[in-house]
Amino acid sequence: MLELLAYDFMQRSLLAAALVGSVCSVIGVFVVLRGLAFAGAGTAHAAFAGVTLAYLLGLPPLSLAIVFGLATVWITGWVEEKGRMKLDVSIGILYTATMALAILFLGLMKTYNPEVYGYLFGSVLSVTTEELLTIGGLSVVVLGTILLLSKELYFIAFDQEMAAASGVPARQIFYLLLTLVALTVVISLKTVGAILVFAMILIPASTAYQLTHSLTQMTLYSMLIGIFCSVTGVLLSYAFDLPSGPSIVLLATSLFFLAVCCSPKRLHRIQTE
Amino acid sequence: MTHPIIRFDHATFGFPGTVALEDISLSIPESEFVGVIGPNGSGKTTLCRAVLGLMAPLSGTLRVLDCACEELRCHHRALIGYLPQKGMLDRNFPVTVLEAVMMGRYGALGLFRRPSGKDRDIARQALTQVGMDHHRDSALGALSGGQQQRVFIARALAQQPRILLLDEPTTGLDLTAQHSVVELIQQLHQELKLTILMITHDINMIRARVDRLVLLKTKLFAAGPPQDVLKPEILSQVYGKELVITDKDFIIVEDYHHHH
Repeated sequence: MLELLAYDFMQRSLLAAALVGSVCSVIGVFVVLRGLAFAGAGTAHAAFAGVTLAYLLGLPPLSLAIVFGLATVWITGWVEEKGRMKLDVSIGILYTATMALAILFLGLMKTYNPEVYGYLFGSVLSVTTEELLTIGGLSVVVLGTILLLSKELYFIAFDQEMAAASGVPARQIFYLLLTLVALTVVISLKTVGAILVFAMILIPASTAYQLTHSLTQMTLYSMLIGIFCSVTGVLLSYAFDLPSGPSIVLLATSLFFLAVCCSPKRLHRIQTE
Repeated sequence: MTHPIIRFDHATFGFPGTVALEDISLSIPESEFVGVIGPNGSGKTTLCRAVLGLMAPLSGTLRVLDCACEELRCHHRALIGYLPQKGMLDRNFPVTVLEAVMMGRYGALGLFRRPSGKDRDIARQALTQVGMDHHRDSALGALSGGQQQRVFIARALAQQPRILLLDEPTTGLDLTAQHSVVELIQQLHQELKLTILMITHDINMIRARVDRLVLLKTKLFAAGPPQDVLKPEILSQVYGKELVITDKDFIIVEDYHHHH
């Protein structure tokens, strides 16, 4: 297995996987606790629509992925804030509309482009140095922001109104969280793909949620689980010639079910009931 | 009378087309314990949101801590400890008692600053004041309803507030817990000299403990010492047929149970 690490492409893939695993799993803690799971899934599809349009127009794919992702996540936040429409309905509409756009843009391409499908299904083994630098840069931005504003992010995840009432600029922090979710999705598109990226955000955080009663511990556990699954998933994918996205996500899913079965919280509840 | 810490001057609140509170004039001096009563939909929670600066008056003015309420900034809000109506707490939400109380420090600390040992001491002291310090490492979801309310009161105290706003702090608790929470609030008022605004349905529980009662039904019907407000002729104007006063002067409002 060690000789694998001598290959440049493998070093890039493992580094990309570790970065994506850590960013997704940390932002996932706030997504799970603040109840934004479905909003993030919608964002992933919107970002893919951005990628397809970028290929159609000959632009860098991640540039339009960011634009589409941010637009979707901000509209979602605004709808939730105004409460004018049920959130699941508005996200459902955005989700399918952006997917329709993506299919439309794919249809408008004259030739079959396997690179575009890489963003849909994930192809970590083909990550280039430039892509790795983009992933690295955005990861530093997302993780750095979370580190600087973790106390405010925890508070709005716990109770946004209480946070606003006690002097935290809760609304601005909420929109910042949505922005970080969109950036995380964009960072992860190439590695796990638009369809599976949200699994990487949800599953490690949900697994950690089963294991602890402390916010800081949940974040730490989630990060460790995210990195472990991403790196091991890439190695399995290479060793057994499997697609990388599903290898990572299915490994994380197995850990999730294991955690549910062994969850100290659940076992404690069963004992007390 | 000391300088008012909260002053409504002909203030009207609501949304265009819907008035929730109309033409309220009321001054609350520092260190007063005020109970706010009134039927469902009488604007009690709107009053709370207004004092928190989350709602600007449509007309008139409201000044809190010597600042127009629509101009309250985060550092003002940090001086108002707030206990919202008890929602359904996710029992599995991963937060320990101390972590939840520490959140009370975040507004006062401001962005980018990490809580220090001093903030931790303030949070521990707040927990001691509500008698919950020995539970500091417990999961919040594992506590009883009454204990959780104590923790949330500690969270508000950790802000080191000048005003404590309590929105129905006893709703959803069993009778023993209701009494112990109200006793705790009275004790905190006496010890810390906080200005307390407590919204409640339970008139009998607080009548002997507050300095003043405020009776609302969109308008301000009465404000004064409990014995002056709790007169059948005043109460019946607000509660109508839903009001029953027993021989022992026990006040029963029929719609009370709709809240459970």
